[in-house]
Amino acid sequence: MYELKTLLPQFDIKLPTCMYELRNVSLSAGSAPCPQAREIQCNGAAKSERNNSKSATCALDLDILGQQIQHLLKNEDTAAILQRQEKVLKQLEELKAQLGLMRENLGVKVCEKSVQQTTASNNGGLKEIPLHDVVVNGHPNFIPYALLALKNAWRDLFTIDVKTFTHSTMADIGPAAREFEANLAKIAVNEALPKIKVTLIWKNCEHTEMISSPTMYVPIYGEVNIIRYLGRVGPPEYRYENSPLCNEIDAVLDICYQLLRCSTHKSQVAMVRLLDKRLNDQQYFGGNQMSVADIGVYSSLIRMPAIKDKDLTPALLAWRKRAKLITQI
Amino acid sequence: MVEDKENTASAGQEPVSKKAAKKQAKLAKKAEHKADTAAALAANEAAGDSAADHAAARYGLSEMIQSKDKRSEREFVTVSDLNAHVGKGLVWVRGRVHTTRAKGKQCFLILRQQSSTVQCILAVGDIISKQMVKFAGNIPKESIIDIQAKAVAVPTKIESCTEQLLELSVEQIFVISQAKAQLPLQIEDASRPENADDAEGLNIRVNQDTRLDNRVLDLRTPANQAIFRLEAGVCRLFRDILTEKGFTEIHTPKIISAASEGGANVFTVSYFKDSAYLAQSPQLYKQMAIAADFDKVYTVGAVFRAEDSNTHRHLTEFVGLDLEMAFKYHYHEVLHTIGNTFTAIFKGLRDKYSREIEAVGQQYKVEPFKFLEPPLILQFAEGVAMLREAGIETGDEEDLSTPNEKLLGRLVKAKYDTDFYILDKFPLAIRPFYTMPDPNNPMYSNSYDMFMRGEEILSGAQRIHDPEYLIERAKHHGIDITKIAAYIESFRYGCPPHAGGGIGMERVVMLYLGLDNIRKTSMFPRDPKRLTP
Repeated sequence: MYELKTLLPQFDIKLPTCMYELRNVSLSAGSAPCPQAREIQCNGAAKSERNNSKSATCALDLDILGQQIQHLLKNEDTAAILQRQEKVLKQLEELKAQLGLMRENLGVKVCEKSVQQTTASNNGGLKEIPLHDVVVNGHPNFIPYALLALKNAWRDLFTIDVKTFTHSTMADIGPAAREFEANLAKIAVNEALPKIKVTLIWKNCEHTEMISSPTMYVPIYGEVNIIRYLGRVGPPEYRYENSPLCNEIDAVLDICYQLLRCSTHKSQVAMVRLLDKRLNDQQYFGGNQMSVADIGVYSSLIRMPAIKDKDLTPALLAWRKRAKLITQI
Repeated sequence: MVEDKENTASAGQEPVSKKAAKKQAKLAKKAEHKADTAAALAANEAAGDSAADHAAARYGLSEMIQSKDKRSEREFVTVSDLNAHVGKGLVWVRGRVHTTRAKGKQCFLILRQQSSTVQCILAVGDIISKQMVKFAGNIPKESIIDIQAKAVAVPTKIESCTEQLLELSVEQIFVISQAKAQLPLQIEDASRPENADDAEGLNIRVNQDTRLDNRVLDLRTPANQAIFRLEAGVCRLFRDILTEKGFTEIHTPKIISAASEGGANVFTVSYFKDSAYLAQSPQLYKQMAIAADFDKVYTVGAVFRAEDSNTHRHLTEFVGLDLEMAFKYHYHEVLHTIGNTFTAIFKGLRDKYSREIEAVGQQYKVEPFKFLEPPLILQFAEGVAMLREAGIETGDEEDLSTPNEKLLGRLVKAKYDTDFYILDKFPLAIRPFYTMPDPNNPMYSNSYDMFMRGEEILSGAQRIHDPEYLIERAKHHGIDITKIAAYIESFRYGCPPHAGGGIGMERVVMLYLGLDNIRKTSMFPRDPKRLTP
């Protein structure tokens, strides 16, 4: 390696005497400072000072450290160094225990479920950070079927615990939404799996929106974006961010978003064609594995009663049958 | 300007004499003016008298109604029903003079009936004489009058009245009860909308104390009419909903021998040779009714608190709506019953009292009350977690301070968009001794609070129904057992597990409507500084 020259000229630094000298933290953390260790430190420091003044080139103390070790070995202080090593190891152990305790405390304080989540973390879900329970506001005319589809698809992997409420701005939620509620309630909550709590509120609102934290009010609009969010926190099988199909899945979800905004039948059919092109004789969108893209398309098609079977291509119909087995809607 | 300056300058030098002089000058001027007008009036009257009054029988001060005549031939119509009589025959209407303004040969009079107003017009013609117009123009505001009139459709909307599409063409007008010419407050001022940003508009307000001192007048404003009709609605819904759920209404004594809770904040009254207390909660009696096998009970009645707190939400006497209910195995049976009762009340108000809510909203700009169905139930620990997330330091066993309570309300509103929520499982340490501890975690208890717009309205819990355990808990709290012997005794003969809670009616109405002061929702409020009217 290169040796760097010190940038600053050599000064004689006189330490002021009006201040206390701080004890070395790493050495004195455990019990009372071991005089032996202190001495070594002092020796080292003294030596390095001397060394510095001689060469005046070395900023890193590697040389000095080496010399120090040599010096120690020469002095046959192996016993001392052993002692010191043991002490350091012990301190590390203590530190580890302390951190573990802290983590446990924090976990319990922030969210009651975190313990359960950590135990099940290899199954999916985020590890240390407890999931926010999220609120989804939806209009009964635009039912977020994706929640039910995901719940069904993930029933053995991840629990989406959905509680439904009706907001005072809605006088009646209608039969479709009631049926949807009943279907959501049918799936039992498996406590062993990692879970996210979703509060679904029927509300007279324009968009399907999701709120995770009230302090940072950053709503997520649109059903497909909620699917994306859940896809990130859900089981690893459905996390698509690191998958090579990431762009493909995003593209399909974007088409779903467009599809839901189409008002004329003609434009809807055009979007269906685009979907068919994307599917392209594969088992599922983007390959042979069910992904959040399929959930998005499946949910969107339910919300579009104007799109009849005759508007779908044979490939899409076959896909729909396959997807139905998993989403069970 | 210049004159003003001079005045102030000279006033500084010899204030008393100058002021007195000014006053005298003013008085003299006034007297002069008076004499002038009197002369003019006399002249006018003379002229009027000389002219024959062809409408003399059609107006005047009615003699005091002493139930002499039945006059059942007169058919009265309420102002709000007038639109069904447009273009038809004559109708009678009784109402108050809201405003009246005579101008030459015409007089415009706005008639008010509760919250409805209608414009009336008198124009000199075959039926109406000049004198009659003058008479109508001089009726003091707030007098009660009977009019006979025809309802006529108008081409342009009358913006100042609630009946905007019609006016009344008056043919007869009689004063039934005359008001004093000088009113301590003007109804228009008292009902002026409160929008602080509107710098242009008239900014005349009637302050709270003037309103309360002249409550009879103040209560005539549309907003107040609506508030107290809605308050009646709250009571009615509370009764109806609970009766439907199988509750029985009970009445509890208000004069009691010993302070039921604590004892610090009770009113003492003399009771023959002894003294007694005014009940500060019907709780003990509700519980006794449960022990007496009434299963589910509620009570509506006055509650007295001798707390010397002059805040926007404390009264010394208010109407308590209390309920208590026996349950089978879990107090959540009761929690859900209370929660659903609230939701049903809110829904009833939303659906049946929308006109009242709108009328209040016209004077006091507030957000409509939002709620969820079923009600949102959060655990106390979850609430604390939400507060901590927002950067508030609060202990696990610490009670919510008022600011924290409000903040939590805002957080819940931001996240769930609801003004009503329930907080369950409060720490045991901050609840009264009779609260049942949580079986799973000794730190918590089977108790709950309910909140509206971030303010606590109900505090309830599962009560300990086992006398021995009750004694143990009381001892733990350092309470003198002898003082609560009667309370403990009532559980000695077997008592089902029960839970309950109580709300203050005024507070619920205030928070439902989003008003800023509980005195606005109490018809004749009692607070440490007010005993009248």
